Amino acid sequence: MRERNIMLLHYATGLGILVFGAVHVFVVFFTYPLQGTIWETTLKFDNIPFAILPVYRNAILAASLWGLLLCTTIHSMNGLRVIFLELLGERAAMRVVSRVLYLVGAIIMIYGTRTIIVANMIT
Amino acid sequence: MGLFLVHNERTRASVIQSLKVMLYPAKYGLERWSYVLQRISGVVVSLYFIAHVVETGNFVGGPTVWGPVSYEAAKRSYEAAEALLKNPVFDIGLGIIGFLVAFHTFNGIRLILAHFGVTLGKPSRPEPPYLPASFSNKQRAIFWLSIAAGVFAILYTIDSLMGVFR
Repeated sequence: MRERNIMLLHYATGLGILVFGAVHVFVVFFTYPLQGTIWETTLKFDNIPFAILPVYRNAILAASLWGLLLCTTIHSMNGLRVIFLELLGERAAMRVVSRVLYLVGAIIMIYGTRTIIVANMIT
Repeated sequence: MGLFLVHNERTRASVIQSLKVMLYPAKYGLERWSYVLQRISGVVVSLYFIAHVVETGNFVGGPTVWGPVSYEAAKRSYEAAEALLKNPVFDIGLGIIGFLVAFHTFNGIRLILAHFGVTLGKPSRPEPPYLPASFSNKQRAIFWLSIAAGVFAILYTIDSLMGVFR
């Protein structure tokens, strides 16, 4: 992909993180009714709205988590690539960096998708 | 990682030099601070993101689980993972991550706007003392707004962890 389009993808995924991350933060922090602090309430496993398991069970929230995973993986891997590009700037070195970052991103995506699917199936 | 890819001795020295330049914001104005903070926050939040995917993976039983798990098994591994995370070090880390994410978000919006020419003003003849046109007053305002958002995120994290502001 050309550098211009990569940066457009970087901005698009950044805005995607803004949207999906807002849903994620809303689900984690804006929880009700409070039992103790927000953190103690939201880290309950089950049986209150927006605890851990209900979020994964809800198909729309689980899908938005997957969208957050996808956007953050692309955004962070490309961000690291840009930093390496600024430091190295060598075509040969950048080819290695890109391959390593593709591999890391693929591992994160596979592992995170597994977590979402497994947690979604718990009844 | 990148340093090991550069075999030439002269290039390696120049990579170290550029790393020093990249991480030294003083004496170059506010825009340079925003540049350095954007890089540092991006790298730290990326590392946090990887740790977060690993940690939430532990909630369903770690890397060996690739099929359906029972409710009781998931609850047990969740409580084990949660007990590990109940630690003041992680609480402080969460506050720092909150600051960095909020800063990175607002400063990133500023960079997107600047990339498409919004808030930059009209081009003009360069005159001494050559103040950078890329960092207009509106851009400065958004920079300070992103710092304020980061501070708010720290306060909100403290509140959600300890419930002090209620």
